[in-house]
Amino acid sequence: MSHHYVVTAQKPTAVVACLTGNFTSPTDLNLIIARNNQVEIDLVTPEGLRPLKEININGTIAVMRHFRPPDSNKDLLFILTRRYNVMILEARMVNDVITVVTKANGNVSDSVGIPSEGGVIAAIDPKARVIGMCLYQGLFTIIPMDKDASELKATNLRMDELNVYDVEFLHGCLNPTVIVIHKDSDGRHVKSHEINLRDKEFMKIAWKQDNVETEATMLIPVPSPIGGVIVIGRESIVYHDGSNYHAVAPLTFRQSTINCYARVSSNGLRYLLGNMDGQLYMLFLGTAETSKGVTVKDIKVEQLGEISIPECITYLDNGFLYIGARHGDSQLVRLNSEAIDGSYVVPVENFTNLAPILDIAVVDLDRQGQGQIITCSGSFKDGSLRIIRIGIGIQEHACIDLPGIKGMWSLKVGVDESPYENTLVLAFVGHTRILTLSGEEVEETEIPGFASDLQTFLCSNVDYDQLIQVTSDSVRLVSSATKALVAEWRPTGDRTIGVVSCNTTQILVASACDIFYIVIEDGSLREQSRRTLAYEVACLDITPLDETQKKSDLVAVGLWTDISAVILSLPDLETIYTEKLSGEIIPRSILMTTFEGIHYLLCALGDGSMYYFIMDQTTGQLTDKKKVTLGTQPTTLRTFRSLSTTNVFACSDRPTVIYSSNHKLVFSNVNLKEVNHMCSLNAQAYPDSLALANKNAVILGTIDEIQKLHIRTVPLGEGPRRIAYQESSQTFAVSTLRIDVHGRGGAKPLRNSASTQAQNITCSSNFLPKPGGGNSTAANAEVGQEIDVHNLLVIDQNTFEVLHAHQFVAPETISSLMSAKLGDDPNTYYVVATSLVIPEEPEPKVGRIIIFHYHENKLTQVAETKVDGTCYALVEFNGKVLAGIGSFVRLYEWTNEKELRMECNIQNMIAALFLKAKGDFILVGDLMRSITLLQHKQMEGIFVEIARDCEPKWMRAVEILDDDTFLGSETNGNLFVCQKDSAATTDEERQLLPELARFHLGDTVNVFRHGSLVMQNVGERTTPINGCVLYGTCNGAIGIVTQIPQDFYDFLHGLEERLKKIIKSVGKIEHTYYRNFQINSKVEPSEGFIDGDLIESFLDLSRDKMRDAVQGLELTLNGERKSADVEDVIKIVEDLTRMH
Amino acid sequence: MSVRDFIKGLPIHDSSNFTHLSNEHGIRTSQKRASVYLPTEDEHSEQLIVMDKRCVLLRYLTQQWDKKTLQRKREHGGDSGNGNGNSSTPNGNSTNSKKRPRLDPNELN
Repeated sequence: MSHHYVVTAQKPTAVVACLTGNFTSPTDLNLIIARNNQVEIDLVTPEGLRPLKEININGTIAVMRHFRPPDSNKDLLFILTRRYNVMILEARMVNDVITVVTKANGNVSDSVGIPSEGGVIAAIDPKARVIGMCLYQGLFTIIPMDKDASELKATNLRMDELNVYDVEFLHGCLNPTVIVIHKDSDGRHVKSHEINLRDKEFMKIAWKQDNVETEATMLIPVPSPIGGVIVIGRESIVYHDGSNYHAVAPLTFRQSTINCYARVSSNGLRYLLGNMDGQLYMLFLGTAETSKGVTVKDIKVEQLGEISIPECITYLDNGFLYIGARHGDSQLVRLNSEAIDGSYVVPVENFTNLAPILDIAVVDLDRQGQGQIITCSGSFKDGSLRIIRIGIGIQEHACIDLPGIKGMWSLKVGVDESPYENTLVLAFVGHTRILTLSGEEVEETEIPGFASDLQTFLCSNVDYDQLIQVTSDSVRLVSSATKALVAEWRPTGDRTIGVVSCNTTQILVASACDIFYIVIEDGSLREQSRRTLAYEVACLDITPLDETQKKSDLVAVGLWTDISAVILSLPDLETIYTEKLSGEIIPRSILMTTFEGIHYLLCALGDGSMYYFIMDQTTGQLTDKKKVTLGTQPTTLRTFRSLSTTNVFACSDRPTVIYSSNHKLVFSNVNLKEVNHMCSLNAQAYPDSLALANKNAVILGTIDEIQKLHIRTVPLGEGPRRIAYQESSQTFAVSTLRIDVHGRGGAKPLRNSASTQAQNITCSSNFLPKPGGGNSTAANAEVGQEIDVHNLLVIDQNTFEVLHAHQFVAPETISSLMSAKLGDDPNTYYVVATSLVIPEEPEPKVGRIIIFHYHENKLTQVAETKVDGTCYALVEFNGKVLAGIGSFVRLYEWTNEKELRMECNIQNMIAALFLKAKGDFILVGDLMRSITLLQHKQMEGIFVEIARDCEPKWMRAVEILDDDTFLGSETNGNLFVCQKDSAATTDEERQLLPELARFHLGDTVNVFRHGSLVMQNVGERTTPINGCVLYGTCNGAIGIVTQIPQDFYDFLHGLEERLKKIIKSVGKIEHTYYRNFQINSKVEPSEGFIDGDLIESFLDLSRDKMRDAVQGLELTLNGERKSADVEDVIKIVEDLTRMH
Repeated sequence: MSVRDFIKGLPIHDSSNFTHLSNEHGIRTSQKRASVYLPTEDEHSEQLIVMDKRCVLLRYLTQQWDKKTLQRKREHGGDSGNGNGNSSTPNGNSTNSKKRPRLDPNELN
């Protein structure tokens, strides 16, 4: 048996549908967004879009529409899922609390129907009398809506039209009338059908128009009193109402297909159209009054500007639109009545979209012990690379250029009643500067009592409305009211101060081996005791453990030479505990702090590692010694409070926040490159903030309360498809697809993009099997025809600059890519596979594998070999090139003459699309025939089939989990795990890869990669997970699959079963039904996988419901079986959430 | 209708919407997410949507049959009228009413 935990790290981001209406109340204007299996409800406000709620649907949303029932002042939501579940939902908001009511639900699937080829379509009658759907060929499904019935009976009507492209209901009809665009051998036609709701049949054809434009794809129904319909084609737009007909053919339309629209005004005169090129158009119907009523007399279409490639558009208010996208970021845009640079569209806000994720690289770029994901995201002009890392985010509010900062402290200067700090003290070598914060303004000022010609070692507000400044010369006490010096303490003799720590009433100063204890009084500094230690002091801390106390009874000291931490008691500086830190790196920062009532000592060393201990407040004894690595440079520890919680900031080349959760320390990266110094800052313009200094600047900002994914975008302007990382050259290689348009002088790029703006540009020579073939292809291209151009980009790993673009001549396309070290060759190469994609051929017949070397800023082609077909997959296999070419798996050896020589191959696939290797074993993902395990026999030079999964599956991604266990994803959004049974008694059994785990993810996984988002082995983890595989999906989701042992699986499965009962499903689709593994008519229950999204929703339940969920649940803790309680389960689930 | 007039004429639901949207820092990239709706109270769906279980073909044939039957009754009524005119042969009327014609199987196509 195989047990797995699957969880979402980044929810799907591709938008399926968006609507505007009055959902939460009659006066609220809401935007509703559907993404895969989620619905988001936003409120339109003066401040912009305010997210209200996110609703999980147990199904993949295929259609989302809205309607208003007669006699209602609110809109209802209709949702149809991929598995033909339907629901009508109402959102109610009372005092900012939202409830979602399922008003109707059911399933409208048909066991013998043939699914529509173009996907499902649904429309709702404008008077909300009936919902109509095209789900199956030749059938039109209707759901008459009867407010008073307890059942709504859905009926299939026979429809003569087999290829339906769009369906809408017409306005102003006595009976519900549906209009369709359909296609037959003669072309495309528009036809309307009147529906008899009583008899459940089509009555008559209200009107029709044969042979509309050959590429007509969209219908826009026009409201009363105008009525009729607008037919959108590739080159023309037609208005038709059965008797009147108007057509326009705007020139700008030729470039791309209109795929979505938004109706702007309720009178039906204004529309917005979006096309696949990311252009926005306005459409206006000009009307005239005639004896028959209002009729259309002309259609006006104008181009407005550029947007993301839209999936859907909705008009919000005051000239603002929401652009829902699945190829690039969704957008909030404003329409400006005056053109700026020829565009009336002003982008206002972007909403991150990672979809579609075609490939990912997992790289520890910063050597932090945690992976960053670089995704190939987006398509066409909206393509980009996204760099994704997990960490605590800093919301930057201000940035001040100030290089060379050596220390930083915030102060409140003055004695007014305001609780806010108003001053930043910055230390530099040989001097100190003081910045005063007045509102958002920052100005340089002075504090007369401070020594500004020396570097400050410490500053603080202290008792009796006084300030402390410590320099190498002295400790200075300054009155906050007068800013004048009122006392000064100097070490005896000519010694200088090296290390210092203080709280509001006590100061500890060290000079070499001598320690001085000073008490802060009103207007004076009193030295109370001093002591000479055996070794020089490296760091000090005198922070009170009890934050309600002003005085500390203990001092923590880090010692040089001895490499130890020592606890001294006050007031006599008596040593009460000594701890050897073991090693040769001296401590650089030491801190006493209390998390969740437990006292800790943290001690950071010069190499970026840190020890931490539990500390006894009375005896000073240190126990539970633990060590973590935070960075590679000396680290400084500073305490700060955020949301009434104690946190510690570790300043270094890898800034980290340390906090406690369930009595365990948690270490989270901060989303900044380097922080040398920091302090908390609670200023009027920057409340509850931090000030952070790096080499060049000070950043003022606030900190996120939890760690989360941070996404940085590198726009490419063309669609990235494959990515490979090469450590030796510190580059990524990315294959991209760019669209050129054939002009009279040849093909030209539509726009500037990564490949056209690279530092170096080279071009492949034309390689074609027939002389003149290329010319004939090029000569045949029409003016205006789009041509796919593939490029190999070499991108700097740090700056993401495009260092080189190597262009392939159409019809050559890149099909796979990898970085590899081959044979005995000391170089590391990029290996690129291409194929000739000729439209007239059913599949490519010719391709090549090319070896490139990127060295000293130059990309050189080293070798190439021809292949007969498409090479879909490349893997480095023990210093050789393993390739999936058509139905073959082939192994190439890299010779000393720098050639690829075929060593062996095996042909038993339909198409070998995916390959993974581990040792001598090869996992193959087939186009149709699931997965196969091969072994390479090195001595014989052959491949042997070890085992295969005999269930047909159309594969999308594969991964090897361990020697016997293999993970796959297929095109219906399912995950499965097969396991080899080496101990089976018969040959037949050994040759099978039985399916042991199944799960419906609800999204298609395009890529699996081993790797982890979080730092490895930092802090404590009690959950027994094994390995980590990241996945990226078509809808822009990122998730994790990890293996868990049986008893942990049993525990989580029990929790899952309880949560399914406690958490009610919106739309009444059972979670169990949703997670069933389903391929066409074959349905298997989900097993072997735990739904991490469901498990982690436990943390959002109320305490009551948590108790209900835990009732009767048993778990094994430290080898001992016992009943679970709420605290145990919270601890375990929180640990699981920290995986992503 | 110019672009300017088109845009100026866009409808307004609440004139204050988006007025406080600050754009001074350029285009924002938003990643904020709403809290997740997690219902724990059971509310029964007000209406159940159920599929009509009758086969589409059977329903179609039944409708066709009903149409033809209705048509035939009208013809039969006319015939009866004719029979009624022939008062000298009351048996003829009776005979006509008994002779209900069978549906021709070919007509079902």
